[in-house]
Amino acid sequence: MDTLHPVATPMAMMAGRPAPGHRNRGPDKLPIALGLPVMAWQIAFFAGPLLFLVVITFWRVRSFRLEPALSLDNWTRVLGSGTFQQAMLHTATIAATATLLALAMALPAAYTIALRLPSKVRDMAIAALVVPVLSSYILRIYAWQIVLSPEGIANSLLGGLGIGPLPLLGGAFSLQIGLLTLTLPIAVLILVFALGGVDKSLIEAAGNLGCRRVRVVWNVLLPAIRPALVLAASSTFLLAFGDYVGPLFMTGSNPPTLSILIVDTVKSGSQWPRASVIGVSMLVLLGLVYGAGQRFTARRFS
Amino acid sequence: MNASTSACVSRVCQRVWLALLFGFIAAPMLIIVVFSFDANRFPAIPWGGFSLQWHQAILEDAMVMEAFGNTVLVALSTAVLSTVLGFAAAYIDHRYRFRGKTAFSLLVAIPPAVPATILGMAMLAFLSRVGVFGTVQAIVACHVALATSFSMAIIRLRLGELGHDLEQAAWNLGASPATALMQVVVPFCKRSLIAAFFLSAAVSFDEFMVAWFIGGVHETLPVRILNLLQGQVSPKVNAIGTVVLAISVALVLLAQRFVGVRVGRPATTTGSETP
Repeated sequence: MDTLHPVATPMAMMAGRPAPGHRNRGPDKLPIALGLPVMAWQIAFFAGPLLFLVVITFWRVRSFRLEPALSLDNWTRVLGSGTFQQAMLHTATIAATATLLALAMALPAAYTIALRLPSKVRDMAIAALVVPVLSSYILRIYAWQIVLSPEGIANSLLGGLGIGPLPLLGGAFSLQIGLLTLTLPIAVLILVFALGGVDKSLIEAAGNLGCRRVRVVWNVLLPAIRPALVLAASSTFLLAFGDYVGPLFMTGSNPPTLSILIVDTVKSGSQWPRASVIGVSMLVLLGLVYGAGQRFTARRFS
Repeated sequence: MNASTSACVSRVCQRVWLALLFGFIAAPMLIIVVFSFDANRFPAIPWGGFSLQWHQAILEDAMVMEAFGNTVLVALSTAVLSTVLGFAAAYIDHRYRFRGKTAFSLLVAIPPAVPATILGMAMLAFLSRVGVFGTVQAIVACHVALATSFSMAIIRLRLGELGHDLEQAAWNLGASPATALMQVVVPFCKRSLIAAFFLSAAVSFDEFMVAWFIGGVHETLPVRILNLLQGQVSPKVNAIGTVVLAISVALVLLAQRFVGVRVGRPATTTGSETP
């Protein structure tokens, strides 16, 4: 923060700051006064804790107390354990599945909302998508539990048709319903904003040149919104990968995901270092996924 | 099939798909609300008849009422602090260039991208070392670190429409940078500040993982719900849920009303809010 200086626009240079009529009162203290509190806050309550998390992966637990140390023991134990490896594979698989499902479901919907609906209806659709993003995910998962449980609403309705009862709750199906509840609104929103921003003349030009609609979507729209596709995919993956409540209530944490493993490790005792190893491993994997997405965005479309 | 029928079929397919998607998104919320008025102890079909008993029961539940009080306190404090800090961060990002600016912006922007489980664990590990955890203030502190990202994003969007000329005009007329900030920039951003307030309140109101880790015995309402769900099935959950959903939806709609999100057009109509 030592080299703060205002953006040098031509007008500022002509005017010559500080403005005439003001005596030079030394360097502008405003950026320090504005920037320091927010920086201190984010370091104390975000960056600091995360760095500390990395540090304690090397610490030891002696008689239920954390002790500073420089040991790789936690890393080798956790990374070598079958439970962790299975959970990692399981979590990555369900997150990847949720990503593919969310994109496949969101794309046609986003296309209709952004390019086919009149603007009034479109604004309402967007409002209806923003609301669930910030309205109690736990409650919505609980609602699916009510619907999908053995004596639940879905089985009552299916029973009326002479089907079932089906074991809807507790498998891959219910888990994906839970994860899509979390991720679908966000995926649709990202794609709606991207498609809404595509230059309409591109679409018209393709149409005028005799392009059929499927080809317009495939050869014009999708390449134009590639960064948004990557953003939607990585956001979905990130949310599904880190989710705790969905797997907990939709599958009864069987098999456990990495988030469930973290909570169990922390709550069952004082194995903070091992829980931290799981957490840091998750962040590394998310970083790799994000990096891969960025490379994919940067590569030129052939 | 000729062109017009195929277009018609495509239109119908699109609308049906959209209806299904919105049905999927809306169904869980509707189910919570509908069954909160159900006389049955366990939510099932057929509906057991209209009843307000579960809504009355939560009013008499001391733990729920205490959690509600905590949540309101945490959400309001978070909203105030996040709006102020978010404005400061957005303004710095808008107006200054300096080494490490990307790091500064990331520091504010990135917290929501970290899985809440990891964030909660890290915050608890760190804060318990320093000795400040298990208090409502600690929850506020961590919620602010999370919610400021959202308020910065909203306010930064609005600042992008301000440009640099208005402020420079104010300086040329003799205003100090601080005066120009308070008299030109803040009024210009008024609506987005209000939107940031409601949005960060909604973020805090909805957050349970960090609050669960940090709060200790001080439960917020989402944490109370999580604990209720992990115990025996309680018909009160739907009633609490209805209240929570109503408040969340109101906060998000209020935030949206003030930010005026539009697709394919500028984020807000310029000039409508300049004094």
